[in-house]
Amino acid sequence: MISRRDFLERSALIALAGRFPSGAQAEVTPDYTLEIADTTLELSPRHRLRTTVYNGAAPGPVLRFREGRAVTIEVTNRTERAEIVHWHGLFLPTDVDGAMEEGTPMIPPRGTARLTFTPRPAGFRWYHTHTSAMQDLTRAQYGGQHGFLLIEPSADPGRYDREFFLALHDWSGYLAANEDGAMNPSYAVSTINGKVLGAGEPLRVKPSERVLLHVLNSSPTEVHWVALAGHALQVIALDGNAVPTPQTVPMLRLAPGERVCARVQMNNPGVWILGEVRKHVHAAGMGIVVEYAGASGTPRWQQPSKLLWSYEPFAEQHPASEPPPEATPIPLLIESRFRGHGSMEAWLINGKSYPDTSVTPLESGRRYRLQFINRSTDDHPLHLHRHSFEVRTVGAAIGSPFAPETALRGLKKDVVLVDARTQTEVEFVADNPGATLMHCHQQNHMDLGFMLLLRYA
Amino acid sequence: MLAAALLDLSLLPVLANAQGNYEIQVYGSELVPPQNLMVELHSNYTVEGQTQTLDGVYPTQHQEHETVELTEGLTDWSEVGFYIFTSEQDGHGVQWVGDHIRPRVSVPQSWGWPVGVSVSTEIGFQRTAYSPDTWTWEIRPIIDKSIGRWYLAVNPALERTLHGPDVHQGWGFAPALKVGYDFTQGVSGGIEYYADYGPLNNIPPLHEQQQQLFLVTDLNVSPLWELNIGVGVGATRSTDHLIVKCILGRRFDWGRHSAVD
Repeated sequence: MISRRDFLERSALIALAGRFPSGAQAEVTPDYTLEIADTTLELSPRHRLRTTVYNGAAPGPVLRFREGRAVTIEVTNRTERAEIVHWHGLFLPTDVDGAMEEGTPMIPPRGTARLTFTPRPAGFRWYHTHTSAMQDLTRAQYGGQHGFLLIEPSADPGRYDREFFLALHDWSGYLAANEDGAMNPSYAVSTINGKVLGAGEPLRVKPSERVLLHVLNSSPTEVHWVALAGHALQVIALDGNAVPTPQTVPMLRLAPGERVCARVQMNNPGVWILGEVRKHVHAAGMGIVVEYAGASGTPRWQQPSKLLWSYEPFAEQHPASEPPPEATPIPLLIESRFRGHGSMEAWLINGKSYPDTSVTPLESGRRYRLQFINRSTDDHPLHLHRHSFEVRTVGAAIGSPFAPETALRGLKKDVVLVDARTQTEVEFVADNPGATLMHCHQQNHMDLGFMLLLRYA
Repeated sequence: MLAAALLDLSLLPVLANAQGNYEIQVYGSELVPPQNLMVELHSNYTVEGQTQTLDGVYPTQHQEHETVELTEGLTDWSEVGFYIFTSEQDGHGVQWVGDHIRPRVSVPQSWGWPVGVSVSTEIGFQRTAYSPDTWTWEIRPIIDKSIGRWYLAVNPALERTLHGPDVHQGWGFAPALKVGYDFTQGVSGGIEYYADYGPLNNIPPLHEQQQQLFLVTDLNVSPLWELNIGVGVGATRSTDHLIVKCILGRRFDWGRHSAVD
């Protein structure tokens, strides 16, 4: 039996036959090449697994684009499954965004596609597979198909001496009963940049350097908190977009799909651990050693006692600009449907699962407010394709009226974590016509109906 | 254990006369989490059972058995349980019957096995007025699987007498089985089967075996509470013919957990 999403993948594949005729773009020399292939990853000497990756590694290569300058990427699929690459956080046309639901053609097994697009906006983005996994906790985002993408602006977002890209990921998933009685993925191993703590090369720094960390949560389903022992982190961008109010924080929280750019003043020489704050995830391997030049010894970890994070401090604190124009509300009621204690839950938006979900078509140029009303007992990282949005309210009581005078301003993102049994509202301008996918970035949730295709009128 | 079946001690005429029905439960592979204590009260009433006193063992008819089960989670792969068995009956009052201890290990879920697998071993004492076999030992493999709304658990238990008339009978086979179905998130229903086939080296005829079928419902009202209610009928001459059972459990998390644990 195939899922409706599998059916759509196959349909998109059939459509592909007419979209990428052999040699049609053969004259274009690609700026980058990506090869999708199975490989054996060594997460540590004790943890080896077979998975699918980009260019032989997980995470894949750092791709650096210049904002506004067209780029061509050749993607070769060496697997026996149809694939698709989503360029997460970019304002792209539907045929290259990388979601078959929007109409992007799948790359057939053993096939090649050349994608040309003009990358924007500037900032820290990423790319990953946008296929479904269903019950197979080794496929899609459960595997190793993720990589960093930096769209460089005309000016750097901040001064720094050294930058590191860090991907938080969870591996070897298995289904376990959670407290609400349904099955949910859990993981045996967690890594940073594909390595268990201590198994990879350390981040090497020098005293007094200013280091810029680009942190990505590429986990298929898990929210992560990370801290750098002995150091504070100055957050300057969320999801690649500069925040109105940079804040110095003791730890970062990233939901699946989220990114944080944080500067660190390296003013505490020694050998430290940058790692997951929660003990069981830390013990599962999520950490990396940070080593000052000339320092030696056992890496040190300072265990925080609390989980600290909030979106609000990064928004404008004293808005002086004109408030945004009135937005048309789109209420989206999020609920789960029990399918048995031996199954994962199905997901509903306004009472329906994808592909039956729908809302009134968007009018180009109009501003909309997505009201995420989460009646479920799960937190959800909600992602909007091909647009970014402005976070207006976070974690409000369900049913709270929108109060424009107290709403957040200036916080631009493309993923927002909506806590269980709360309401969060974001606004966006419908300025990129074409089918636009909104979905939960948890792989198991999007596989089981948590997607909505917004269409332009 | 007197555990998973009412059949753990023998009612068989060919064996020493004894009574069970203290804990009527098919075990799943899931363990009590570390630093958690599960307190369960098993209340079993024999509506229609044995009416005669045989070999000094009280009749089961109209006996009310109250069993307190305390299970402490040790690690993510082990737990230990302790039982206090009591019996209440007209003419005998409330009596302490015996105690058992039950260590158990389970295959961690992180191993990714397609079915849940666990093994418990139970050893304990019961008074001769309730069982001529005063010391017994049981090894209980536990295999279970949830598939969608369906749940299947099998407990092919082996048990033997350590002290008492049946001490030379060797290992007996006392399997238990459960098939459940989730009607809703909070309400499941199913069938539980308990049997005691007697000694493996000398399996008695069917009418001397114990065979019992329970119609049960499980109410999953909270992760901290469990409630199982059932009505069972005995299918052989040697089995109590009608029993009503109830298991009420409450889990206590006594660990000092913070958000980072």
